[in-house]
Amino acid sequence: MKAKVALITGITGQDGAYLAEMLLKKGYEVHGIKRRASLFNTQRIDHLYRDPHDTGRKFVLHYGDLSDSTNLIRIIQQVRPDELYNLAAQSHVKVSFESPEYTADVDALGTLRLLEAVRILGLEKHTRFYQASTSELYGQVAETPQTEKTPFYPRSPYAVAKLYAYWITVNYREAYGMYACNGILFNHESPMRGETFVTRKITRAMARIKLGLQDCLYLGNLSALRDWGHAKDYVEMQWLMLQQDAPDDFVIATGRQHSVRDFVKLAAAELGITIRFEGTGADEKGYDAKTGKCLVSVDPRYFRPTEVETLLGDPTKARERLGWQPRITLEEMVAEMVRSDLRDAERDSLCKSQGYAVFDLNE
Amino acid sequence: MKQALIFGVSGQDGAYLAQLLLEKGYQVAGTSRDAQMASFGSLAALGIREQVAVHSVTLTDFRSVLTVLNTVKPDEIYHLAGQSSVGLSFDQPVETFMSIGVGTLNLLEAVRFLGAPSRFYHASSSDCFGDTGGEPATELTPFAPRSPYAVAKAAAHFEVGNYREAYNLYACNGILFNHESPLRPTRFVTRKIVAAAARIAAGSGETLRLGNIDVARDWGYAPQYVEAMWLMLQRDTPDDFVIATGHTITLRDFVAEAFAALGLDWREHVVVDPELFRPADIAVSRANPAKAERELGWKATMAPADVARAMAVHEQQEILPK
Repeated sequence: MKAKVALITGITGQDGAYLAEMLLKKGYEVHGIKRRASLFNTQRIDHLYRDPHDTGRKFVLHYGDLSDSTNLIRIIQQVRPDELYNLAAQSHVKVSFESPEYTADVDALGTLRLLEAVRILGLEKHTRFYQASTSELYGQVAETPQTEKTPFYPRSPYAVAKLYAYWITVNYREAYGMYACNGILFNHESPMRGETFVTRKITRAMARIKLGLQDCLYLGNLSALRDWGHAKDYVEMQWLMLQQDAPDDFVIATGRQHSVRDFVKLAAAELGITIRFEGTGADEKGYDAKTGKCLVSVDPRYFRPTEVETLLGDPTKARERLGWQPRITLEEMVAEMVRSDLRDAERDSLCKSQGYAVFDLNE
Repeated sequence: MKQALIFGVSGQDGAYLAQLLLEKGYQVAGTSRDAQMASFGSLAALGIREQVAVHSVTLTDFRSVLTVLNTVKPDEIYHLAGQSSVGLSFDQPVETFMSIGVGTLNLLEAVRFLGAPSRFYHASSSDCFGDTGGEPATELTPFAPRSPYAVAKAAAHFEVGNYREAYNLYACNGILFNHESPLRPTRFVTRKIVAAAARIAAGSGETLRLGNIDVARDWGYAPQYVEAMWLMLQRDTPDDFVIATGHTITLRDFVAEAFAALGLDWREHVVVDPELFRPADIAVSRANPAKAERELGWKATMAPADVARAMAVHEQQEILPK
């Protein structure tokens, strides 16, 4: 039997890497689209890379960009994917307030360009389409927990662009009979999460503070409540959604909720540090309970013009209809992330002690 | 004297709004993509072409938006510009989002950038609601858009809400249900119907081909709706409003009313052509405009059947030899 072919946009990201790895294990031929950059951007998929000179290659990368229709049409024409996973996006909420037009171009129009490419190539009945939707759509939540029926109230240019992508995916399913699905994924993290996202920022900082590479961690809204799962669990769901008889939209979440403050405490505890929070709002600080040293401080610079205070998903439909259930707990995930960041910090510390330059990689 | 700036002044609503604002003593400026090429036929039809200063503006070009805001320095901005055809949006989905989604974003960014106290009206759309299953839509009804046009409008609607909340702009969404008038272009079904009815009444002998006539809409009269736009910008705090008549009839009934107004039986002149059906369509659109009546003191006085008859009669007078 001929291997199934998958095409992943955003393959260099956290989800792209986990999804590619899983699909390769399932015997897929996996193609990915990466943006051209003057710096290497394929760290997360380095272990999957196959040299173009190898024969029988099952993992192929293409240069591409969601802002270029001609490029997307050509890649899809060559690859003729059975499954197309759209994970590419400007995915940072805070950045979207600074670059709203770029965010709309890539996240909203980019999705439309992909759907159009599939139609233009006459692949509507051949290619199944997965759209990475997001819990940020719920924004100022209308009810708690959020289900597939909860109305959207996007609170950032990112969320508004993703709202467009969500509905245009539904529209192409209804108008042209495409097998197209939205996965409304709540926050999902891992050691591969980008360093500027709050969870990774926390685990990385705690590890570096532990080894004396950093003094203090600056954060925004500590009281924000999120439903955090593990990316590795969530990509399985993305695949499952494309294996059903009929396309549908699903909430993917753990059904548990914690504050950013709790996440900090958990990460610190992994390193044997107890953090005591004092003060409120912009004046809140976290102290090392043993030494009294200030390790965490609020910087209003990280506040958003419109905050999303609370997100909590109800994954009942995914459990009942897809038999999906997350396996990795928050505590296990935090431990894994901290361990991984501690290793990186140890490597940096070692290099530094031997006189080699080490990047602090500030935002 | 207050200064108003209407983006999309060459359209139906732009023309009626310009007329209303001029009557209220405003100075009125307006934009069109190419003010040199545009005929501004609607402004001319209302006899106000010379009283409106027109500027060439492309909403997707930030400089162009910034320049007109700096030149006109409006107290009130009415954003009516954008690709406005649901049918066309299936053929030009990218342009539809560029024009509506990116265009609105650029306009909001320009207002924010200038930090001027301009009040901002955005023409949101009842199409955002999609099919509410016969339930009358209010400002709290969730969106479920069913065309690339409606999806783009939903995004623009939330952009406006987000900029209001994030940056304290005085920005409002008017969620207008269908509103028609003799100034509608003939690619809109209502005008297509009355234009054909008037020609048939004059003896053209033609057959009118329509798509799905079972769809039901809340059709109001555009000249009344522009008043609601203005009222939204005169309040203490910005908010979103559903604007509609509160009455829904089928397209079949609209056709029947229009033809009857000219003494014709529609069944002798109309055929349904499945070719004209849309890939995805809203079956019934129904509205509850109670908030507008309560908080703006605005109420439509022409129901959908009145609109059909008035448009048909107007159309007939237009083609009579003068």
